[in-house]
Amino acid sequence: MIEDRVRDDIAFIRRAVEEGRNYATHSSPEIMIWGIAVAVGYLGTYAFLRGWSPVRPSWMWGLCIGAPWLYSLRRLLPAFEQPWADSPMARALSMLSVGCGICLTTLAVAAIWTGDIRQGWFGAVVAGVLGVAFFVSAWLSNLAWLRWVAVLWWLGEIGVFALRHRPEVLPLSAALMLLLLAGPGLLLSLRRKSV
Amino acid sequence: MTDFDHAAIDELLHSRVRLAIVAFLAGAETADFSAVREAIKTTDGNASVHLRKLEDAGYIAAKKRFVARKPQTRYTLTENGRKALLDYVAHLERLLPTGGAPARQPTNGRER
Repeated sequence: MIEDRVRDDIAFIRRAVEEGRNYATHSSPEIMIWGIAVAVGYLGTYAFLRGWSPVRPSWMWGLCIGAPWLYSLRRLLPAFEQPWADSPMARALSMLSVGCGICLTTLAVAAIWTGDIRQGWFGAVVAGVLGVAFFVSAWLSNLAWLRWVAVLWWLGEIGVFALRHRPEVLPLSAALMLLLLAGPGLLLSLRRKSV
Repeated sequence: MTDFDHAAIDELLHSRVRLAIVAFLAGAETADFSAVREAIKTTDGNASVHLRKLEDAGYIAAKKRFVARKPQTRYTLTENGRKALLDYVAHLERLLPTGGAPARQPTNGRER
């Protein structure tokens, strides 16, 4: 039947377009989850400082950093292997995000361990590193709009540094995480599903 | 009978391999050679031949660059290529009876 053949052809085209989108946006759910988790950490800390929440920040951060790491590391399991994990671009993007994640996590642990986290500079470092990550990702993935996300992160870095001794830095950092990390992740995910 | 015009079918896209390349790039926007070859599940030589034909027709654009001292070719779907794919899908849909499930058009994958 010619109709069956035509439907088969259309399904074939749809699958190929979907594969292309998956190739371009394979890490978007991860970006979104990290953005939301870290924003929850900042807001939870702010709520504790204000006396709105009894949950101690150390517990909150353990969960908000540990859970997304578990999600990211699931890729090491064979059941979660990505079809594009072997492409040079996917490898480069993965290594970039893992490198930034390790850098920020180790620095966060060190800053919390020594008590230096109270000096407030860590949020600005996070914003600066994420700006670099988005800037490089924009070039690797050829998504030019990600460069503007990088620029906004660097502007955010200035704001976070300026407010580093005030508790308002926490909601500001949470807003940056939601808008500039979870937001781009959501946009990339929508792009992936809109075929 | 339908109003389907056989002569209007794009011969270049009638090949499944070339159709797969164009559809893949419609979703990916830009992809390197190895990703395209993986997507169409073929050999380097076969992929090169079909990519060259699409490039000669102006459906895709190739850009060479060096990454870690190794040459890398990245392919992008051109406006002509996107239009050709949409026309091809539209022609296919004309073959379906009214009420048949239409293909969603791959128009919204463009990035600046």
